[in-house]
Formats: sequence, C-alpha cells, structure tokens
Amino acid sequence: MTDLLQLLFAGLSQGAVYALVAIGFVAIFTVSGVINLAQGEFAALAGLVAISAVGSGLPLLAAVVLAVVSVALVAVIMERLVIFPVKRMTTLVSLILTLGVSTGLKALMLLVYGPNAEGLTPLTPGGFSLGGVSIRYQELWILLIAGVVSLAVYWFYERTLAGKSLRACAEQPVAARLVGISLTKASLLSFLIAGTVGAIAGVLASPLYFTSWESGLTLGLKGFVAATLGGLISVRGAVLGGLLLGVLETLTAGYISTGLRDAVAFLLLIIVLVARPAGIFGRTAEARV
Amino acid sequence: MSLGVRGLHAGYGRLAVLHGIDLTAGEGELVAVIGANGAGKSTLLRALSGLLPLTSGTVHLAGTDVTGYGPEKLARTGLAHVPENRLVFPSLSVADNLVLGGYTRRRGPAAARKEARDRAMALFPRLEPRLEQAAGTLSGGEQQMLAIARGLMAQPRVLVLDEPSVGLAPRLVGEIFSALGQLRDDGLTLVVVEQNARAAFAVADRVSVMDRGRVVLEGDPAALSTDPRVAGGFLGGGFAADADAGADAAGAATPGVASGATRATERT
Repeated sequence: MTDLLQLLFAGLSQGAVYALVAIGFVAIFTVSGVINLAQGEFAALAGLVAISAVGSGLPLLAAVVLAVVSVALVAVIMERLVIFPVKRMTTLVSLILTLGVSTGLKALMLLVYGPNAEGLTPLTPGGFSLGGVSIRYQELWILLIAGVVSLAVYWFYERTLAGKSLRACAEQPVAARLVGISLTKASLLSFLIAGTVGAIAGVLASPLYFTSWESGLTLGLKGFVAATLGGLISVRGAVLGGLLLGVLETLTAGYISTGLRDAVAFLLLIIVLVARPAGIFGRTAEARV
Repeated sequence: MSLGVRGLHAGYGRLAVLHGIDLTAGEGELVAVIGANGAGKSTLLRALSGLLPLTSGTVHLAGTDVTGYGPEKLARTGLAHVPENRLVFPSLSVADNLVLGGYTRRRGPAAARKEARDRAMALFPRLEPRLEQAAGTLSGGEQQMLAIARGLMAQPRVLVLDEPSVGLAPRLVGEIFSALGQLRDDGLTLVVVEQNARAAFAVADRVSVMDRGRVVLEGDPAALSTDPRVAGGFLGGGFAADADAGADAAGAATPGVASGATRATERT
C-alpha cells in the first residue's frame, strides 16, 4: 500500500511536468495547427539558463525568472522568424520547421552549456516522510506551481477577452478575422504562452530529473503524448493526460520494470491514435476546424 | 455614399472571378446582390471585406479609401461581414460570441458596447434566454441571428451579409429579412448577397444581378422582378421556382420596400 502511494505521488509530480509541456503543445496547435517539436527544448533551455545563472551567482528566484523570460522571448522570436513568414502552413510543414528549430536549439545548448546533465538547486531542499511515503519538498512545489499555472491558463482561455479571441481563431479562423482578430498576433501570443509554460516546466523539473542539452527530446515527446491524450485541443485534456502518463510510467517502473518506463508513453500513444484519435478525454465533435 | 466599389477585379490565383464590379450603397440603403450559384457573389463579399486581395479596383467606405485594407482594419473602419454558413464560434457561449463581435471596439466606450448589445438583443429577442448556451447548440436560424448580432456588435457603418437565408425554413427567412429591413430603417447601410431572390426583392431598395463575375442588371426591385431576364437566365431558374412555391411571391416583390418588410413579418 505504501509502495502504491509512493508510486502514485511520484507519478503525479512527474505528470505535472508533462502536463505543463502538454499545455504548450495545445496552446500553439489550436491557434495555428502547428505541432511545435521544439516544445521540449523550451523546457531544457530554461533549465540550463537557470542552472548557469545560479552558477554565476544569481539568487535562485532571479535565475528562474530570468530563465522563464528568456525562453518566452526565444519562443516569440521563433514564431516571427520561422512560423510567421510561411504563407500556407500545414501540419507537415510545421513539423519540418519546428524539428529544424529543435535541432538548432539543441546544438546551441550543447555549444554553450556543454554535454553534462546537471540539476538546478531545488526551491526547498530535502523532504520528509508521511506514513512511510517519502516526499521531497520540490515535488510539492512542482504540484503546487503546475496546478496554479494550469488553472491560470485555463482561466485565461475561459474568462479573458484575449483568451477567448485565441479560442475563436482555433474554432473559426475566417470568422475570427472578420470580427477583427489578427491571426498573426494570435499565433504570436500562443507561442508566448507555450514558451512561458514550457520554461516553467523546465525549471520545475530540473532539480529532480536533471537537465542536459538533450533532455528536451524525452520531455517534449512525453508532453506531446499527454497532449494527444486530450486530443491536442484541450487544456484540461492536456493536464489530465500529463498526470495519467506520469502515474502510468511510475507504476510500470515500480511493478514491472524500470526499463519499460519510457515505452509506456509510446504504447499509450499508439493505442490512443488507433482507438480514439480525438483523445480519450476529447469529444469527437470537437475537431479543430 | 457609405460603400462605393469601382472596377473591382479579383480572383483566386490565376483564376479571375470578378471582372470589374461597380456597386454603391448609400447611407441607410439596403442593396441586394443576387445571382445564380457561381456568379461570384461570395467572392465579391470576400474581396469587399479584405479576405481576398483585389487584383484592381477601389473600395470606399464612409468616405475613406479602404482599398487594400485587411479584414481586421476594415472591421475597425466600420465594415462588418456576416459570413456564409454563419461561422459562429461553436464552443463559446452566445454571450462570448457577442463580446468577440465587439473585439475591434474593446478599447472604445463601454456605453457604446452596451448600446450595440441592447440593440442586437432587441432585434433578436430569441437570443436573450440563450446567452449562456454554447453557440454550437443553437438551431440554424438562431445561429444566423447570432451571426448578424455579432456583426452588429462591431458598431458598423456598413453590414454585408453572405446568403443569410441559406438552409433556413421560410418562416425564419422572413424573420431574418424583416430584421434587416428594420436595421436599414434605423439608418444602417446593408449589402445582402442572396440566392433566395424572393426574400431579397421583398426588402431591398436596389438590386444588382450578377452573372459570371459581372453586374448585368441593376435597378429597383419592382422593375427587375418583372424582367424576364431575371426570372429566366440569371438566377438559374431560382426565381421561377420561388414563384411557383407560393402565391404571395409576386406580392412580396411589389414596390414599397417598407411594406415588403412588413409583409415578410406577417407571413411568419
């Protein structure tokens, strides 16, 4: 029983990180139909920027803020340089373009930060034991901050005019333009959201799971799987998908084999794409227009 | 003159669809553009609202040269386009659809936004109890009303509508067109593209008939409705079919625009 609780808890905090990465995929895909393969690199880059800022003597919080702001900026620049100039964006073109950006960012990180994996200083070091379940403070921080950020993103889409205008672009791009919403500004805003949320995921995950120039690949793929579980169009689906994936992974690692851990995500992806392409939480009628 | 189009050419890539359209709509005038499928009516509206770039020609809106404006800028300048098939935002509530309709006026005075909304609600009281409902759950007629109301939220000088009657029961068509007549009586300029010639003739002040990318006939609805060329060739038989459908078709097409609108209401 203690084992199960321990695995569930570890799974949820891991899943919360996937959830944030997944929100980034959803934010961009709904507005422009772009699948951003550089989403994982946003997280990795944020981790590395924060680690090196702390290394050069900046206080932890300042380093985290610096990392999030600079990655958000990278995302916005990426949109302007790579996505905006394309006249007719299709999903295939977006995959090729963002794969290029992802590869470029990886090379840049390798050049600047070297090949070693490091961990950021945790917000609160150490942990405690609760009924036999060992809990690290950083895991609590992950759950808390990921929860707050997810709610904030959800609130943004549901309650604010800017959020509603992004949903309008996703559902009826022509009508959105006719009421005066600029699709190019909407796309820029969606990258800003994805960059920010991805960067937060990166700095949260780094103390526990370590960050290297190539850790964006796994994180990005897991986030993509989580987003797909929700049909790629729903913030709520992305969050639930992330948590589910995290829990399934730790359960597999705990009860079957640690070697199978990374296979879970892709097994899940295949099952979902074959059986329920609209996502397990998505309604089929909600297809992107 | 609220809307003036001169020598407008436009098309899709190398395919030219519009070959020099001239169209004017004075303040408080309701102009109907009719024609068979493929005559270029929708293309004309897409070009007017900036969705489709012009090959040549000019567009003036309320005294401003708006040639080459994109849809966002045109919406700000005062042109609202109610698109074909309504295109409401389905997962958003009716209230949110209206709020987004006023997107270009978001920094304007709140009183003006409220007034626009009150007017839209007065015009389509059926939407009022549905404000919190997702727009995708509305019936076709209600979605059309919402699409028009959304257009009005932009506080436009000119409202252009693409086939507002398509797919609607005759009773609802009457309701929609009488609402358009009311908007015209309130001083709004309207351009309505229609295949349903009978409904359009009933309320229009002037009618332009399009065929293969050109305006081939223009005039007041009373004169045009008896023109054999309208009933025969240009509408692809649509007008004749309407006339067969009801004895009051001829009545609805008689002169006297306001009375035409009233009659449309009475038929409901």
